[in-house]
Amino acid sequence: MVRGGTGGAGSTWGRGAPDEGPSAPPRNRIVDAALACIVRQGVAKTTVDDVARAAGLSRATVYRIFPGGKDELLRSTADSQVATLFTDLAVRLSHESDVRGVLVTAISGAAAAIADHPALATLLDVEPEVVLRFLAFDRGSELLRLASTFGAPFLARWMPMDEAARVAEWACRIVLTYLVDPSDRVDCTDPVAVARLVDTFVLPGVRTLRGPAADAPLDLTSAAADRDTAGPAGRGQGQDHHRTDHHRTEHHRGEEVS
Amino acid sequence: MAPDPAVRARLVEAAYACVARYGMGKTTVEDIGREAGVSRATAYRYFPGGREELLDAAVTHGVAQFFLRLYEQIHDAPSLEQVMERGILFAHRAIVEHEVLRRIMETDPELLLPQLTVEGHQVRASIAAFLLPYLRAHGVAPGVDELEAADFLARMTMSYMTSPGRWDLDDPAQVSELVRTELLAGIVVGPEPSGSDPARP
Repeated sequence: MVRGGTGGAGSTWGRGAPDEGPSAPPRNRIVDAALACIVRQGVAKTTVDDVARAAGLSRATVYRIFPGGKDELLRSTADSQVATLFTDLAVRLSHESDVRGVLVTAISGAAAAIADHPALATLLDVEPEVVLRFLAFDRGSELLRLASTFGAPFLARWMPMDEAARVAEWACRIVLTYLVDPSDRVDCTDPVAVARLVDTFVLPGVRTLRGPAADAPLDLTSAAADRDTAGPAGRGQGQDHHRTDHHRTEHHRGEEVS
Repeated sequence: MAPDPAVRARLVEAAYACVARYGMGKTTVEDIGREAGVSRATAYRYFPGGREELLDAAVTHGVAQFFLRLYEQIHDAPSLEQVMERGILFAHRAIVEHEVLRRIMETDPELLLPQLTVEGHQVRASIAAFLLPYLRAHGVAPGVDELEAADFLARMTMSYMTSPGRWDLDDPAQVSELVRTELLAGIVVGPEPSGSDPARP
């Protein structure tokens, strides 16, 4: 199975940072301990006492740093994992050289990372409501805003920021729908399957988004630029970009499907 | 005595009304029987599964009502774009204004969330089945699989319904733009995108 998973050396995806010894700031130690407890025993059975014991700190210290107790602790643990996911993804997205590559890597990378996470998959299975709270209604919109803010800069190399934010939110929706309601036809952790999805449904939408008033036609993929018969004058700076990055793109694709 | 379909229907509607009033967790068979004007024993005769079966029937009733009203809104839409636009505008209003849904979201969100998410495959399948004839009637772009397109539209629609995000789904202009770009651009045969660059100074 092709896994574009996240979590290279130094990643804190699903575990504490490697240097989180007794000298680490208490806040980090507590969040790491909370994650370890959740991986081991789920959310419902994890108490503030468990977390304090795992962190090697007193209950009072935990409450001093997280006055909201368990709820605040859970929230911070979730936030730290989302931040880790975004950081790991950012490294990979910065190597992409076209819109298609960014979308495929973002969607399949996020889906694979979520599938590989030691706690999330178990939680969705045994305590789905814990995870789902973050995915629907107001909190769902909050998550979409976060993902959109994170993803937009990677797309803004090819389109205005507001369009980039829309497309990033859209990509997040795609990850979420296949996460909570898996499909037997589309495996979102598989970059090849995601590429087909992106080509069929997403890229035409991104093109339409630009509309007739856009400054320049959007150069979505390096490959499309080769096929495109529009004159170089019509493409502006995208042309140069494409020439310099073409080789790197090919190389990257090779990695993804190997 | 032969079962009377009218009594059954009355019990389902009573269950629905009780959920609206008390929430799902607090509705009892007694409440439903009282609301329907029948005894607890009669309620059990029609619904041997008791409370759970009655609540299930109430949810099914609510979903059926929703799709019936949705169909009234869009059955005469002249294009796939219109089907999607009218459908989203209606569904968004219906969800926001839906008394029972709102009540459940306040009192028992944990009961509703799985319905819309991990157990959402049933809702998704219903939406996809609902859309499929329209996709067939209006035609899809070459190379697009109708079933896949219906599934994608159903997934996306559910996503916008549960979390509108940056979209104001009360605004017909925004809904129209959403449909044109994120929903149908890859699915319908649109006007050929122009390769030229008219707007460049």
